[in-house]
Amino acid sequence: MTFVRLDRPEEEVADASVAPPGRPKGRLRRRPLGGPRWVGWAFVLPGLIGLAVFIVIPQVASLILGFSDSTLLGGTRFTGGENFARLLRDPQFINSVIVTSIFVLVYVPANIAISMAMAMWLKTRIAGRNWIRVIFLIPALSPMVANAAVFRLLFQQDGVVNQALAAIGLEPIPWLSDGNWALAVVIGVSVWQSFGYNMIVLGAGLDSISPDVIAASRIDGAGPIRRFVSITLPLVSPALFFTTVLTVIGAWQTFAQAYVITGGGPGNSTMTIMLYLYQTAFTNNQLGYASAIATVLFVIIAIFTLFQLWGQRKWVHYD
Amino acid sequence: MTDQQLQTSGLSWRRRGRAIGFAANTTAAWLVALVFSFPLIWTFFTALKPGNEVFGAKISFIGSEVLWSNFADAWTEVDFGRLLLNSLVVAAISTALTLVIATLTAFAFARLRFPGRSAIFLLFVITLTLPSEVAVVPLFLGFDQARLADTWFALIIPGLFGAFGAFLLRQFMLQIPGELEEAARLDGASTWRLLISVIVPLVRPALSVLAIFAFLGSWNSFLWPLIILNSSDKWTIPIGIAGFTTQTGTQWELLMAACMMTIAPVVVVVAIAQRQLVAAIGAGAFGGR
Repeated sequence: MTFVRLDRPEEEVADASVAPPGRPKGRLRRRPLGGPRWVGWAFVLPGLIGLAVFIVIPQVASLILGFSDSTLLGGTRFTGGENFARLLRDPQFINSVIVTSIFVLVYVPANIAISMAMAMWLKTRIAGRNWIRVIFLIPALSPMVANAAVFRLLFQQDGVVNQALAAIGLEPIPWLSDGNWALAVVIGVSVWQSFGYNMIVLGAGLDSISPDVIAASRIDGAGPIRRFVSITLPLVSPALFFTTVLTVIGAWQTFAQAYVITGGGPGNSTMTIMLYLYQTAFTNNQLGYASAIATVLFVIIAIFTLFQLWGQRKWVHYD
Repeated sequence: MTDQQLQTSGLSWRRRGRAIGFAANTTAAWLVALVFSFPLIWTFFTALKPGNEVFGAKISFIGSEVLWSNFADAWTEVDFGRLLLNSLVVAAISTALTLVIATLTAFAFARLRFPGRSAIFLLFVITLTLPSEVAVVPLFLGFDQARLADTWFALIIPGLFGAFGAFLLRQFMLQIPGELEEAARLDGASTWRLLISVIVPLVRPALSVLAIFAFLGSWNSFLWPLIILNSSDKWTIPIGIAGFTTQTGTQWELLMAACMMTIAPVVVVVAIAQRQLVAAIGAGAFGGR
């Protein structure tokens, strides 16, 4: 498997310097191919500059702006930790952290569990398995906005979901006008949209498990649960780790679903951190304060990512 | 019954049992797929309904008439034609530039040795885990100060430098045997020539997968266009759809027609390139969701 190792990239680097097969190593050292040494720089420079200017510097600038009262009109003053003190007293912000936490807490496990279950199911004998895979993948590669618009239609008060409930004699549910239900819909569309993608990553992980290993464990008398826990799970753990890390990072930044389906409502019940950040910056023109929100979000994501990188030693097995 | 007969009948029973299991498994999987795609199926039927029949007391897929004209009306009412053209142009430019930049970067990492390569590679790896959307405020501020807000330049350029493309291509370039490179060198090929004539043709499959992902990335992108684009004549499809969805008195049948026309190209691309896409996603080449 060719995963980018998020934990120890230097191994990848070492791997990169290994001479391609068939080339004598000594010769490579003596006469490195590729002309003068600066040539490599020329090739890497466009990407490097772009990465620096449009990815790295904005991240750093965001951290700095968080300590200012910047607005679009200019006149930026540095106000120390004032924004952060204000955040702690901002009920809207605290609400958005709680909403997003609930989202992450439900969405990530649901996504991973369904992805894993579907990936394992699609390993069994099914006619037209590849087409089923494509069907599950389509929403993941379609615009979130279009998917969200579709769900907004389905869950209208007199929409098809409530029609279906009425057909089986149930009361309609106020999907988008009740805070808890609205958050459930936002989580639902997110899982529906994205698990197909992770399903394929995990499916590839499952494919890389040698059938011999499974067969051997079967001969040794391991039951299906035992096989799953002791064989499948450890062997698929690099793929599982990879998807979990990136799914968590994405989940904390949830935006489009909430923007389109509920606009953060009713009563801020689906106001994610990113949506609050967006409104603070671009509706209320408080760019400095919004950057402080961004900093907190950055720190939250960093803590979660580092925690997972640290925790992987306990459960991720690279061969 | 002889032993022989017993054995064959036992075998055929087992075979029959397996066939039934296979059929049941297939049916169940397709049922799940059908339920899963219900939202899109419903969208399609909604797009064909008269406006006043989108909602009703009972579920009905077909309204009193089938209005294919809704798709045409979406072009005028939602201004879908303009949105589509904008999205196509922006996605095409983004894709072309992404391919060029990722190819150059990947080539340097995979095939060239230069001082600082490890450090730069590490930087690229780290950016993979950076939450990019968190930094939209300074990005916007920078373009605004440069008087570039509300331009396609500002829309396109920040999306070109994601590290995943470079990683995917690098992975493929590492697999190219060194002999090919040496042969080209002995024939006097320059580094540039080597890239264009030897490496690029060999990684063409990876380039096409990257092209699809770059295109879809631009096609689907929402937050940044929403922030940076102000004038509606520059909007891309997601911005148009979001605007149309959130306004009061939504004409759902037209909106759903627009959604169908937005998702349809994705369906076609995924169906055609499914094998390559599944392989690339499976390799973790484009991160998770």
